[in-house]
Amino acid sequence: MQRISQKRRRLMLGAAATGAAALAHPLSVLAQGAEEIVIGGSIPMTGVFAFAGVGINAGIQDYVKIVNDAGGIKGRKVRYVPEDTGYKVDVSVAAFKKITSQNKVNLYYGDSTGFSKTINPELERNGNILMAGASFASELNDPKKYPNQFLVGPDYTEMFGILLRHIAKEKPGAKVAFVYSDSEFGRDPIEKSEAEAKRLGLSVPIKIMTPAGSVDVSTEVIKLRRAAPDYTIFHGYILAPIPEFITQGKQQGMKSKWMGTFWTMDSSTVMKMGEAGDGFMGVMPYRYYYDTEKAPMLEKIRAMRPEYQSTAYMQGFLAAMLFLESARRCLDANKPLTGANLKAALNSIKDFDTGGLIGVPLTITGNSIPVGRVYKADMKAQKMVAASDWIKL
Amino acid sequence: MRIGTLKESYVADAALFDSRTQHAWLAIAAALLLLFPFAASDYWLYMACLVAINVASSTGLNILTGYTGLVSLGQAAFMGLGAYTVAILQTRLGTPFLLNLLAGGVVAMLGGIVVGIPSLRVKGLYLAIATIAASFIAHFLFANFQITGGTAGISMPPARLLGMDLDTSFRLYWLIVPVTLLMLLGAANLFRTRIGRAFIAIRDRDISAEVLGIPLLRYKLLSFGLSSFYAGIAGGLWAYFFRVVTPESFPLSMSIFFLAAIIVGGMGSILGGILGAVFMTMVPELLKLIVDLLPGGAALAVFLSPVRLIVFGALIIGFLVFEPLGLAEIWRRVRRFFHLWPFRN
Repeated sequence: MQRISQKRRRLMLGAAATGAAALAHPLSVLAQGAEEIVIGGSIPMTGVFAFAGVGINAGIQDYVKIVNDAGGIKGRKVRYVPEDTGYKVDVSVAAFKKITSQNKVNLYYGDSTGFSKTINPELERNGNILMAGASFASELNDPKKYPNQFLVGPDYTEMFGILLRHIAKEKPGAKVAFVYSDSEFGRDPIEKSEAEAKRLGLSVPIKIMTPAGSVDVSTEVIKLRRAAPDYTIFHGYILAPIPEFITQGKQQGMKSKWMGTFWTMDSSTVMKMGEAGDGFMGVMPYRYYYDTEKAPMLEKIRAMRPEYQSTAYMQGFLAAMLFLESARRCLDANKPLTGANLKAALNSIKDFDTGGLIGVPLTITGNSIPVGRVYKADMKAQKMVAASDWIKL
Repeated sequence: MRIGTLKESYVADAALFDSRTQHAWLAIAAALLLLFPFAASDYWLYMACLVAINVASSTGLNILTGYTGLVSLGQAAFMGLGAYTVAILQTRLGTPFLLNLLAGGVVAMLGGIVVGIPSLRVKGLYLAIATIAASFIAHFLFANFQITGGTAGISMPPARLLGMDLDTSFRLYWLIVPVTLLMLLGAANLFRTRIGRAFIAIRDRDISAEVLGIPLLRYKLLSFGLSSFYAGIAGGLWAYFFRVVTPESFPLSMSIFFLAAIIVGGMGSILGGILGAVFMTMVPELLKLIVDLLPGGAALAVFLSPVRLIVFGALIIGFLVFEPLGLAEIWRRVRRFFHLWPFRN
């Protein structure tokens, strides 16, 4: 009896194994064909960063729609699952846990440097997700420490690098002042950028750190005036206290040119500076919504959304584009969508055409895309206009 | 007064839980807490751990503000002290996590005692402002000291127990929830002792308390010390939970969060601290789940998210207007109803 049952079990196992082997291939293809590609997102739709979150959300949504309308990625539909975080790290992690436990997530958009750092061990353990986000922190630009993440543009140090290159070309030997906020965001690029300025033959006569959220900057302006810089770069702010600095500086006869980094550089933010903002310059890794240079993808965006879209929108849009390009390359090579494969696919991107979102072909070798361009505010036209060519570091 | 709970001895009178019904409910709650990790998804486990950490910290604040009547807006700073102590010990010395947690509690306690000194002179809002200073000083220290890793903070390895990394919410649950329960038990028992009753006397009228022979200096500082010890342990758990500690991890708004939690939950009640922390942590998440269930909720997230915040705010105001004694009082009312149910009329 026992022997029979053992024999039967062996027979059944054999049959099952043969059946499985015969079916495995077509079945797996079927399963893959039906499976969606999921982009999860911790998106700050409320809170202090909501101004960007809303744009990022729309950008990702629109690119996903474009891809799905064109039939998806190798027949697989893309699904975008966002969740509001209020720009709080604990809520953002909760959103990640919720989205990943309800969906088989392949790609994820994170909302802050704090979140990117906090979730990193979880990403490594999970192993199936490639992540990008709103942070351009230089710390994240380290493929060894953050193997499953990337930055959708240059990191903050590289943004400074682009500005400094532009300055060194425009006025060799110029004096450049750094004004930054006392926060992780503000302090990020300062030390390395000072060294970079020296390397480029520029001098940094003064570095001013202001308390986060400070508005009264009159004493700092006096210090800045004494240093008489040719250029002043602001970093670690969105808007305030930049207009206060510029207005008071101009009143005191300063001849400095004023510059900012990505999060200050949205058109609507710079236009809020009013008269003080005329001629304000800064680094921008993407084209503005209203740029007139040839860019088929921008035309598509303008057709989808006739009203102005922020640079945060462009950032979200490009993040989705790079996410799905990585997924496409993985599927083309018949590789499963794991974090490591997706990252390798991302790093295989060479001379990639973004449809004009970035003016030069992209090559991504590490965790960042060190490309950008200097734009300048034209208050009469209420637009940002290009002040340099695309600069690749 | 409840029917059928006659007390025949002082021990029975002083017991923390005095009826069989309570014991039965406690047993059920314990069983649920034990089974929960095996049934819940990673998201719910994460939320459970976060709630437990917040419960621990708000219970600490309740000792100080709810029971001793000293308003503090420095709770997040004390959590930060605990978290940084744990992170530094874990990364630099690699000492066992329980020792680190205790050290975190002790360092925060010492910080709390120092910050508590003005409480001997000032009360109410004035003290609240004095404790805000603690937040700013702590932030400055965290951001500028070499040992705290500056603005980038400290990333730390997980706690290890018997060769196992406590790196998932499931594993951390078995550390965080028992520690929180132990702290709750300690707090509940505290108010059956001379110390706890002295705190209450100080809250009700400090001059009278001193006349009764309660040294204000010692007891006010003790209350600050105990409260910050709780915050320090909660901060330590927080550090092991998130494993990245930065100066921006413990903002002033976090202190306001805990103060709101005990006000909504019910000041001067252990249950109030628990309910308040659960309310403040879970209601925003539950509102999100409700929004997700609405037809087209996910697509309309951009528009519905601010509405969610307004509803959350309105809920807090509503509770305060209709039940100023907090959720704990609502809970007590529900219990009273069931004491006689269904024989009320």
